[in-house]
Amino acid sequence: MFINWKLREINLKIVYYGPALSGKTTNLQYIYAKTAPNIRGELVSLKTRGDRTLYFDFLQLELGHIAGLKPRFNLYTVPGQVYYASSRKLVLQGADGVVFVADSQEQRLHANVEAMHDMEENLRALGYDPRAMPLVLQCNKRDLPGIVPVPLMKDQLGFDGVPCFASVATQGTGVFDTLKATINLVVVQTQRRL
Amino acid sequence: MSLILPTKLAKQIEQILARLRHEVQAECILLADIGGRLISAQGRIQDIDPVLVAALAAGDVAAMTELTRQIGEESYHGSFLHEGESKSIYLFSVANSFILIVIFRADTPLGLVRLVGGRTAAQLSALSADFEELAKESHEVPSGDFGAALADELERTFGRL
Repeated sequence: MFINWKLREINLKIVYYGPALSGKTTNLQYIYAKTAPNIRGELVSLKTRGDRTLYFDFLQLELGHIAGLKPRFNLYTVPGQVYYASSRKLVLQGADGVVFVADSQEQRLHANVEAMHDMEENLRALGYDPRAMPLVLQCNKRDLPGIVPVPLMKDQLGFDGVPCFASVATQGTGVFDTLKATINLVVVQTQRRL
Repeated sequence: MSLILPTKLAKQIEQILARLRHEVQAECILLADIGGRLISAQGRIQDIDPVLVAALAAGDVAAMTELTRQIGEESYHGSFLHEGESKSIYLFSVANSFILIVIFRADTPLGLVRLVGGRTAAQLSALSADFEELAKESHEVPSGDFGAALADELERTFGRL
């Protein structure tokens, strides 16, 4: 969290993390499509020619003054593909909260677990305690066949006590619930620390 | 990792950036942290999206840091330049934690930007060592009802989407 008292602005950085093709960019695209132009910036995607995230996607949301402060939310995604490990670590730098977008399909279980370990390792390398980082789990692609029950996914990822939302990001189901929960979690935890 | 910028420190930074802008006649000057958060901005920011520029500059510096690591350098302390046809950008690393971004007209002498920008980066670097102390001295914290008010506003804005 970054607060500029002269400008009375409060900035939060939220990072969407998860395995390749789990729907991280789709979350941001849906948020961009549904929010009013006056509260959002440009959706910028640094991607490959094959339309896959190379470095990150970025979207800024801004609300009006609340209790004398103007909140700004900077939303980032990380590239999910295994070989972009460095990019993922760098995007996590300065994160205030993480949305872990897991793919609910049974055959993606290993990729989810691998991404979770990668996230924890990167957080530790950046000096964060992974258990102290505000985290929300989003179990995405609930409309597809062959999906794992949500409680089992939580259990397999070791996310006990982590707020969890079932989603279909392509249709917007669960997208804003995830975002609201993450922002609220970050603010509550940060206020406790101040 | 929260960063609180008290009013007094924000003013000091603004003065340093304004001086640099005046000396090199820059279009605008931004200060961001390596996480991509915009800390301060001076100049004609209406022509750009400063928050986005800060995020992209942080990405650039992060990539350069990783590149230098790949060639065996321990950390990246330098600066780099994009020379455009009408406008150019110079990025200076500040104490490995912040990025000074200078956007200037392409006809401005590069040596001047490099010299004055480098000096300003060193000055900001010295100041950044006191960031934590100055932030601790500040008694400015969000009011207790901020969290609840924000939750209400989020519900009002995003609740039906």
